[in-house]
Amino acid sequence: MTLDWPFWIAGACIGGFVPLFALVSGKVLGISSGYSELCALAKPAGPERWKLWFALGLPLGGLAASALAGTHELATKAEPVSSALGLGDVATLVVLLVGGALIGHGARTAGGCTSGHSIVGIALGAKSSLVATLGFMAGGFAATWAWVALAGGAA
Amino acid sequence: MKALLFVASGALFGFLLSAARATDYAAIHGMFKLTDLHLFGVIGVAIATAALGLFVLKRAGARSLAGAPISLAHKPYHKAVFLGGIVFGVGWALSGTCPGTALAQLGEGKAYALATVLGIVGGTWLRQRQGQAAKVA
Repeated sequence: MTLDWPFWIAGACIGGFVPLFALVSGKVLGISSGYSELCALAKPAGPERWKLWFALGLPLGGLAASALAGTHELATKAEPVSSALGLGDVATLVVLLVGGALIGHGARTAGGCTSGHSIVGIALGAKSSLVATLGFMAGGFAATWAWVALAGGAA
Repeated sequence: MKALLFVASGALFGFLLSAARATDYAAIHGMFKLTDLHLFGVIGVAIATAALGLFVLKRAGARSLAGAPISLAHKPYHKAVFLGGIVFGVGWALSGTCPGTALAQLGEGKAYALATVLGIVGGTWLRQRQGQAAKVA
């Protein structure tokens, strides 16, 4: 557990970050394409290279938040994911790896993720972002409830 | 110097994701099971706040403080957007993360997020390879 801000404060800060970041940097938030930059590291830096720097900053923020909450610790076990899934540590890591691969693959097909599509894109009123987000939610609900049904409520 | 600005911005955003509990597996899982609506509230308020801010930014001429134009173009729509979205959503539920929160989790000390991050890198790489193959074919 880390910090636990009320939803409206956390939401307003995340939403407010988007225009302020654009104002300061001239860029519009997008995270999943930062992974493309990582994959393109061998090529000369293009105009999107900033996304890689941004992505590298994210762990520092997680570190700061957990340190501030006094809960920072190195968790080598895959809890609470493994108990929620009802799997051992190794099987849980496989699920995380596969889940991650679906995230990366799906984000590139959809053209963005929860930041670029669901927050920025919907805020701009983009049809593609609304459709993508409906897909995110449909996939998320379907997978969760399928797992619950298959695990007999263990999840 | 520019790179440092982006690392710092990323750190701030990662901090906010963590403070919003978007890095908490139980919060994501609870959202999809409808037992914890906290993150729906976060996302809803974030969209509304971003919409207001971007509207003001657009009306002010969509330029950064340094005078550079800010592109507020919509992402292109095509038939695969929904399908890609579903694939993403299944991964979102399985891993309990999205591309940003997996990285913030790493910083929180959740070593297992390394598996998620490696998966995202692999999936991204694979999709781009397929994309290039499709263009060649």
